[in-house]
Amino acid sequence: MDIFFQQLVNGLTIGSIFALVALGYTMVYGIMKLINFAHGDLVAMASFVGLTVYDQFLGKTTNSILAVIIIFAVTGTIIAMAGIVLERVAYRPLRKAPRLSAVVSALGASLVIQNGIMLIWGPRMRFFPADILPAITWNIGGVYISFIQVVILVISLLIMVGLIFFIDKTRVGAAIRATSIDHDASRLMGIDVNGIITLIFVIGTFLGAVGGLFIGLYYRGINFNMGWNYGLYAFVAAIIGGIGNIPGAMVGGMLLGIFKAFIAGYVSSTWADAFTFTLLIAILVVKPTGIMGERVAEKV
Amino acid sequence: MNKVFRLFFALLFCLALSGTQADASETIKIGVQAPTTGQYANEGQGIDQGVRLIAEQVNAKGGILGRQIEIFTCDDEGTAMKAAICAKDLVNKDVIAVIGSYTSTCAEAAQATYYREGILQTTDGTSDALTEHGYWTFFRNSFPNSAEATYTANYFINVKKYKKIAIVSDFSSYSTGLGDSVIGEIKKLGGNIVYQGKIKAGEQNYTPVLTNIKSTHPDVIYFSGYYNEAGLLRSQQMQLGVMADFYGSNACDNPDYIKLAGKYAEGSYLINVPSPELLPYDLAINFLKDYKAKYKMDPPSIWTLLNIDGMRAILHAIEETGTTDTKKLAEYLHTLKDYPGITGPIEWAPDGNRVGSAHQTYEYQADGSKKVIYPIVK
Repeated sequence: MDIFFQQLVNGLTIGSIFALVALGYTMVYGIMKLINFAHGDLVAMASFVGLTVYDQFLGKTTNSILAVIIIFAVTGTIIAMAGIVLERVAYRPLRKAPRLSAVVSALGASLVIQNGIMLIWGPRMRFFPADILPAITWNIGGVYISFIQVVILVISLLIMVGLIFFIDKTRVGAAIRATSIDHDASRLMGIDVNGIITLIFVIGTFLGAVGGLFIGLYYRGINFNMGWNYGLYAFVAAIIGGIGNIPGAMVGGMLLGIFKAFIAGYVSSTWADAFTFTLLIAILVVKPTGIMGERVAEKV
Repeated sequence: MNKVFRLFFALLFCLALSGTQADASETIKIGVQAPTTGQYANEGQGIDQGVRLIAEQVNAKGGILGRQIEIFTCDDEGTAMKAAICAKDLVNKDVIAVIGSYTSTCAEAAQATYYREGILQTTDGTSDALTEHGYWTFFRNSFPNSAEATYTANYFINVKKYKKIAIVSDFSSYSTGLGDSVIGEIKKLGGNIVYQGKIKAGEQNYTPVLTNIKSTHPDVIYFSGYYNEAGLLRSQQMQLGVMADFYGSNACDNPDYIKLAGKYAEGSYLINVPSPELLPYDLAINFLKDYKAKYKMDPPSIWTLLNIDGMRAILHAIEETGTTDTKKLAEYLHTLKDYPGITGPIEWAPDGNRVGSAHQTYEYQADGSKKVIYPIVK
């Protein structure tokens, strides 16, 4: 039984990261009906920026908690700005264009960012130092949970709950919901649609940046082309949960993480990806709107 | 008209004859096929620099058979396609022997061309497939995967007496080949393999596989892959509380392994041929000194030195036989017994495999250095 719970913990950790990245996908899709394929590469970029911030400014700090908070704040800000630039340059000029143009633009942006990372930081793997966070591991009845896993789980949950509160309970959240239903009607009601879209990109890329930093802190080794993989899994998670739906992205991310862990654990790690995409197809066939899809408002 | 042709061919024949007669003053041409750019650039540059150093030393002493050595380098970038092009290129340069390449893939892509042209080839590729074609031109200067497998199995079963062994590979041909080889050897010795599985290189989350391994309570986890995955496996193994010894194969021997495994690198193990600085031979000490004096750095790894040994053996054969006829050179190389190499005595089996096994087991220390805990076995 401890094996089962261990796989569950493994799955939840990686699932939290998927969920954080998937939120960026789902929010952008919800408001613009656009799959932002460059999102995964912004996540990878966040890992590299975070490592540089650490190397440049915090390498000698002894207070690791403060260091981590500063890394997250600085990196999140830089990546959020990159998200704004991405929207301005690659998506805004195409907003009235056919949807395929925007998708091609997204794929192009993805390649530009990936190659940019390679040019700046090089094609070799880079490493987060091992001693940023304390390497503590707890043994709870045979199930091992490390400090970094707890950090990832708790922070991800706090962020997601905060995000749901923000969308559901605030005036800006109401504006975001309105914009996702109808841009023109929202504009007539006095909502600054461009401002809302920019805000969505800021929030989405910031969450992705947090995910990217978690990847760096958890696995330490980061690669210029890792964004594609995480982007793909997050995209699958968003679809499983119902794309455009914020709680759906969280549930989808967690489910995907756990599903992958169980398949890899109980069937074969070789087949984990094949099963993942079979699951995706099955969900699309049985319930095309995703698990929590019924809450998506349809454009009339 | 016919007469003119005859005269023409007669003239050509005379020219060809004069060509062979002028041979004594010509250079002996040796090719280097190595990845001097790309992913393995530092290894490829090491091989090129090492070969050129040896040629320079020999030329300074008046060359071999009164002839100077000339080196031609072709960069195969570590890809099979470029390797095939390099093979053609070096053939056109009229080399009699080629040193390289660094990867098994590149050596294999080029070896048929060298065989057809009767050009000697010596490489550090460890893939067993390299010697399966039976090319008389081919000489492996490193040790094949099967030799490492024999060493590893013997060490696990007879020395460490492990009762439960878990074996993990990735999907590369090197890793799969070595992993299967180790499994076969362990089974031959009656060892008990409780887990064997594969991971996908590049996927960073190996906790599901490790959790499965944990449920089999192994004494040891052996990974026959590359350093990036090894570092993550080791670090995640310890975080999951899988208290087994961890062994990496020769491709895990890289400073990046320590960066990924972090503090958990300490106390993990590695099986590889000797590190250059640990070679116990005067030849090695002198060569390393010369290399450092000329290039202001150490050779990147043992693979450079293995290739240098291939080069030295071929030069030795030319000197002893007094000819550059590759057929005769190959015959002579096959009869070599205990030729003193930088990396130990050299002897070749009829299929071109290097005989013996110079593998060692290292333990990583807290400061990241390696300590030999089980010595050379011949």
